[in-house]
Amino acid sequence: MATEPSPRLETTPARKPRRIALALLIACLGLFGLDALLFRTHMYASILEPDSSAGLVELILWREKRAQRTAGDNLVVTLGNSRMGYVPKVVDLRPQQTGYRIRTAGVAGSDPRLWYYMLRDLDPTARRYRAIVIGVDDYDDEDRAFNPDDNIGALHYCITRLRWSDAIEFAQSFHSREFQWEAFRGAVLKGIALQSDIQAFLSHPLKRIAYVRLCHRGWPDWTYDYVESSRSMAGLRIDWSKLEATYPPGMTEEQKQTARDWLIHEPNPQTGRLAHFFRTWLGRIADRYRESRTKIIFVRLPRGPIPRPDYLVKKRSSSIRELASRPNVILANEHLFDCLERPELFKDAVHLNRDGIDLFSPMIADEVARILGPPGAK
Amino acid sequence: MLFNTAHFFLFLIVVLALFYASPRVLRKYILLAASYFFYGSWNYRFIPLLLTLTAIDYTAGRWLEKIPPGPPKKAVLILSLCANLGFLGFFKFYNFLGSNLAWVLDKPENAFFLNIVLPLGISFHTFQSMSYVVDVYRGQQEAVRNPIDYALFICFFPQLVAGPIVRARNFFHDLFQWQPPTSEDVSRGILLLTLGLTKKMAFADQFAKVATDYFKNVSGNAGMLTAWSGVVAFGMQIYFDFSGYTDMAIGMAKLLGFHFPANFRRPYLAASITDFWRRWHISLSTWLRDYLYIPLGGNRHGRWMTYRNLTITMLLGGLWHGASWNFVIWGGYHGALLSLERVLRGDRLIREDWNWLYPLQAIVTFGLVMIGWVFFRAADLPQSLQVLHEMFRGAPGHLLLANWHIELMLIALALAVAEEKLDWFERVLQAPALAYASALALMFFCIEVFGVIDASIPFVYFQF
Repeated sequence: MATEPSPRLETTPARKPRRIALALLIACLGLFGLDALLFRTHMYASILEPDSSAGLVELILWREKRAQRTAGDNLVVTLGNSRMGYVPKVVDLRPQQTGYRIRTAGVAGSDPRLWYYMLRDLDPTARRYRAIVIGVDDYDDEDRAFNPDDNIGALHYCITRLRWSDAIEFAQSFHSREFQWEAFRGAVLKGIALQSDIQAFLSHPLKRIAYVRLCHRGWPDWTYDYVESSRSMAGLRIDWSKLEATYPPGMTEEQKQTARDWLIHEPNPQTGRLAHFFRTWLGRIADRYRESRTKIIFVRLPRGPIPRPDYLVKKRSSSIRELASRPNVILANEHLFDCLERPELFKDAVHLNRDGIDLFSPMIADEVARILGPPGAK
Repeated sequence: MLFNTAHFFLFLIVVLALFYASPRVLRKYILLAASYFFYGSWNYRFIPLLLTLTAIDYTAGRWLEKIPPGPPKKAVLILSLCANLGFLGFFKFYNFLGSNLAWVLDKPENAFFLNIVLPLGISFHTFQSMSYVVDVYRGQQEAVRNPIDYALFICFFPQLVAGPIVRARNFFHDLFQWQPPTSEDVSRGILLLTLGLTKKMAFADQFAKVATDYFKNVSGNAGMLTAWSGVVAFGMQIYFDFSGYTDMAIGMAKLLGFHFPANFRRPYLAASITDFWRRWHISLSTWLRDYLYIPLGGNRHGRWMTYRNLTITMLLGGLWHGASWNFVIWGGYHGALLSLERVLRGDRLIREDWNWLYPLQAIVTFGLVMIGWVFFRAADLPQSLQVLHEMFRGAPGHLLLANWHIELMLIALALAVAEEKLDWFERVLQAPALAYASALALMFFCIEVFGVIDASIPFVYFQF
């Protein structure tokens, strides 16, 4: 790569300053054009690593869009994180009883920010579904140690769904300046956020393409046929006065840490950040369906193998209850799943196990059917 | 303020705006203030040191011009050189000498240790300053009248911290007969800035991650392939890092109406070590040739003196890089290879014929250079020996470079060969605006998908 003029080419014709400025402008447009061509069309999205956050979102969207074609009019979609996302099959097993096809577009590790962008592309007219069922941890807002508004991982979940027009509001939804900048940068130039995926693709392009093709052949069945672990938390005992737990044998240190983070901890300072986050993103989902036939149904998921005592739970607001004042937003019975809050129905401090899911799925399907009424009813 | 940060680009834009918005008479003051600000942003406490060296060599230059040839003139020269080398020696070599003295006297290694922070770019600006004084002494350069001009020569920010080492006559020619950059200069400057940034962020920093991981834990990364890939990663890092910095420095200078010499000419395509040193860090190798090798006698006193002079020059060149035995060995290794080539070549001139043998020669040269980098990069001599042992006697090991690293290397090789044979860089400059813009867009895109953006990895040569 040279830095000096070559003797045989040293008579470079002068490029006028205005033309240099124009060339710079074209170069910038070229950069955005290349970025758009590759990352804002189906081109790169179709070869994303299926096991990555962005790839998983794409696969779920692809699966659910496909399902829309054959699912008829009484289609319900559930959204949520791993607590909701791991149970697609059983929920969908009761269409005969309920009259509704219940699909799940839940994504492990996701939050309402992603659900909004997913729904925008999954349901562009905001009329496809009879209901959108959103699984949440609680109807009240309790700030925890982890603040979802500053989870930069959300950028990697949302990346393929972001448009240039989203860049500012998406970036502003992060709390820290550092993440705001990172999110803005990634939303404007997606290649930056997809660097690792691109580099991995370039290392093994044929292998990647073959894997993507394989996933497109079998992934819907794999996910719907997934059988959850039968491991259980039976034997878990918690001394809430000392915040100490006796764990069942075989629990890993990581699982114990999850239990400490999720259940066995002092109340966190209540900053209102979670409420603001929910109001923003769940509010945007509700706004989107304001004039639609689609109902937004919130469901409080089983809180854990042993629910935390009330004195350890600090709540100052309830953004979801506020949303329920809107005409098309409905809260499912808050205590519906209290009966599932038993150690033997959980595989860890957060997720239901196979037995738990077997009980949970028909319950949620029936509750949705109860709320919506018979499929033909208005 | 690293060149590859938003802060630096903001600084550059402000400097360019102030420079061109000001009356011509003020421009050098703006450059001087910007240069001291740039230097101070690293460590303002070294500005007095820079000013002291500037004052010494400015005064020495003025004296040297006035004093007729003879012992007093020589004394002024020696005084100036001693001051420069004294500062360089103290800051750079005191602890090295101290630890060796402690070893000789059988004292603890840190018996003479001082907590010294190395002033940024001291090796570069002292060499630049010394060459000025020597040139004035030799009558090849007029002493500069205005101390501001001289101060600017020493601290001009594009090349202050890592070169290229600019000769006084070239710099002052540009300064005294300053002309606004032509459109061609601006086009070239922008292209060089972008190319340098691409080399640094998309290439050097990616290879730096691999090399750093390897050299941080050599024992845990045993194996022949592992060692070779770690060393090649460093070879790539240092080339893209330093040549990227140089491209940016030359590009910035062009935008300000100054013209720096080329510092690299595709060194990894060299077909011999002699050829390599004509292509690698050219401003240093020509400096060493003009101010050390030739004054030592060069090749004028027979073969053995030539070998001796080559070896001394390269040993001191190695020591210039850093105060450790590793750098001495690195310099000595290159000196020995240069001498060996002389022995094998005799008095025949080096030719750069691209014949069927050329790729083989280039691969051998590349391998020899990589072996040299082991001493350059390893933390100490035992680690160097450990790496070399793994490279030649280790178990098979595994490749540290991912396929995409190798693809980057192949792209760089293709571009280097294309540059060597087709002058693509000049052709891009000649091409219509759309082709020029496309080249820039491709480089921007390369930074987007390969650039190490969040981790500011310092330029390798900033430590010298």
